[in-house]
Amino acid sequence: MHDPHSPLIRLAKRDAMPRGQVWAIRGASFVAAFLISALIFLLMGHSPVEAYGTMISGSLGKPTAIRQTVRIAIPLLGTALAIAPCFKMRFWNIGAEGQITAGAVGASYFALFWADKLPGPALLVVMAIAGAICGGLWGLVPAFFKAKWGTNETLFTLMMNYIMIGVVKWLQGGPWEGRPGSQIIPQFDSAAVLPKVLGVHCGWIIVLIMTVAMFVYMKYTKQGYEIAVIGESENTARYAGMNVGRIIMRTMFLSGAMAGLVGFIVASGADNTLHSGVAAGVGFTAITVAWLAQLNPFAMIAISMLLGILEKGADTLQTRLEVPASISDIITGIFLFCMLGCEFFINYRLILRGGHKEVAKQ
Amino acid sequence: MKKRKLIALLLAGAMALGLAACGGGGDTTQTPAGGETTPAGTETGAGGETETKTVKVGLICIGDENDQGYTYNFIRGKDAVTEKLAAKGINIDWQIKWNIGEDSSCEEANIELAEEGCQLIINNSFGFEPFMLKVAPDYPEIEFIACTNQASWCDDLDNTHNAFANIYEGRYLAGVAAGMKMQEMIDNGEITAEQAVIGYVGAYSFAEVISGFTAYYLGAKSVCPSVTMKVQFVGSWSDATEEGNAAQALCDAGCIMISQHSDNTTPATAAQNAGVFHTGYNNDMISVAPESSLISTRIDWSVYFEYAIEAVANGEEFDQDWCHGMDEGAVVMTELNEDIAAEGTAEKLAEVEEQIRSGALQVFDTSTFTVEGAELTTCMALDTDGDFVADSEEAVFDGAFHESYFQSAPYFTVEIDGIEWLNSAFG
Repeated sequence: MHDPHSPLIRLAKRDAMPRGQVWAIRGASFVAAFLISALIFLLMGHSPVEAYGTMISGSLGKPTAIRQTVRIAIPLLGTALAIAPCFKMRFWNIGAEGQITAGAVGASYFALFWADKLPGPALLVVMAIAGAICGGLWGLVPAFFKAKWGTNETLFTLMMNYIMIGVVKWLQGGPWEGRPGSQIIPQFDSAAVLPKVLGVHCGWIIVLIMTVAMFVYMKYTKQGYEIAVIGESENTARYAGMNVGRIIMRTMFLSGAMAGLVGFIVASGADNTLHSGVAAGVGFTAITVAWLAQLNPFAMIAISMLLGILEKGADTLQTRLEVPASISDIITGIFLFCMLGCEFFINYRLILRGGHKEVAKQ
Repeated sequence: MKKRKLIALLLAGAMALGLAACGGGGDTTQTPAGGETTPAGTETGAGGETETKTVKVGLICIGDENDQGYTYNFIRGKDAVTEKLAAKGINIDWQIKWNIGEDSSCEEANIELAEEGCQLIINNSFGFEPFMLKVAPDYPEIEFIACTNQASWCDDLDNTHNAFANIYEGRYLAGVAAGMKMQEMIDNGEITAEQAVIGYVGAYSFAEVISGFTAYYLGAKSVCPSVTMKVQFVGSWSDATEEGNAAQALCDAGCIMISQHSDNTTPATAAQNAGVFHTGYNNDMISVAPESSLISTRIDWSVYFEYAIEAVANGEEFDQDWCHGMDEGAVVMTELNEDIAAEGTAEKLAEVEEQIRSGALQVFDTSTFTVEGAELTTCMALDTDGDFVADSEEAVFDGAFHESYFQSAPYFTVEIDGIEWLNSAFG
């Protein structure tokens, strides 16, 4: 009947799917995540309705809760924006963690040693520029190696993360340490702290401006177009006379600079100090945000808020229902897994052995 | 067509669930809030002594009970005080946050607990304080405690508190037990006097650690005059592998007694594997190293918790900077391992404990140690200008260095003779 050598299930790339169907699949995956998580709650002995209610009221129920949720979303959005051009170019920058940290180091240097020498607003501007330059340079290193010698950027950027985190650990215990032996860098002078707008440090305004800027950059500028062409086909870009190596380095510097700016926002706005966990995994989670948003800057706002809601909600869940912290992580994981997984079904279809005549013939 | 219907159905279901969730959310927030606002009533109800009061207490922990050390010791304090206060008609509704980092997540945790209606929020780790201080001014009616840190006397806030216990007293006693064992070995001819070397695994070269191992050394020296000590810092409060390695290295360097200021039990097991003795911290370590671990000392946090929570329940003020030791039972010794301890250790420990309790014995008696060959005559306790160098309050008087006298957090950082620092890269 059918070829006995063909596997039971095969994958085939789908042709473009109607928009409505795409969104239906996304909706269904969200529902699936909802139901699987509900099952986990039931296993833990909690009513899913109560659990979801707690998550929503915990993350959005009060002005303070909303502020906390926004605070979680700010670095996620900023970093997702930072890595978007790289991903568009198919340059796998998973070094945002290190670039954030590098930016935080640059900003912290001025916060710690220039607070009394510069007037308040100027200090913040200098910190932001220093953060962007440090992050940019940290991102430029792997791009340079990639452009010159074709090194693997995935491994390179990943390794650079650990180096930078190690540098901060050294600063924490060494030259920048506060109370001897404490391993803690002192809190910044109030002049080096980002002011609050509507109860949240004004990093949210910065990342929203970054969102618009990134949208314009990617969609309407020559550089954005070059990035898109390289992403589609490096050879085409070369044939069109683009200097691919230069564009890679330029884009990575930009990407690192934006991540560095996020580092400045986190160090100055949220932590008011520098510590080795300043990036707190945001560099990795932001990859999820960027993918889920399909590199669309405006969609990133929604996705990072959604992750903020999940994280803050899961936190409240832990406090109110006394579920272990790891359960919160599991719930977040289920949601991300389902939402990323559904993109797979949008792009591919499963073919059962002998299930599809036309394909079976081939 | 069918597919689309199914999806529509699923979506409808999801929306219904979402709505139900929102509805449920409203309910759940109201019920606990309603339940927890009653304590406000108890604060005013001064006349009703017999009624049960409920205090909502938040506890923010750097680890969880699985560490079997630092945080576990807080959990024991929490459980003990819950029982003690229940007997006094005070119920504690604990809200606990586990595994919080010393970063803005600590600030978030403080806000969250404050918003949940906690009347008292306890931060259990040193590095939590700066983040707690950002939240405390916004909630003047809530009392905030930063255990082991020191800002409450200078932060201009009425609702912040620090607490610690005179753990150096317990370390001194553990040192006495260790010293007696070594002296016994010398007397029996098992080792020479010069071979009485203690190896100490320290976390960081930080006042709390330095104060602890110096007290330990002085305790040992009081009964074994020839003792010396080597200290190896591991650069982490809790790193099981590194702590074990450090203990192993100390054993290889000829140490015959291991002690530690770090959170894990690996130094105890390393000591047992090397055939040397050990005294522990935070937790009884006899079960993991029965042939090696002599005794441990730990802080009994329930003493302070009882004091603070009872004050909050009764609407009274309590000290902003609290530090007690054996005088109130805040520092306790775990069970002595009679099978391996030197003869007469229990009696000696009881005797020394009584002397500490009564004040007859000062742990940092300046006649018992020297610094570069000379007696310590002056040493400042507090740093008032924020440059991290102590500049005020003379700690040396009446023939002793007074530790934890001007503030609860330890401030003894003197390097005394007889103790060799193998590394201080983490200072």
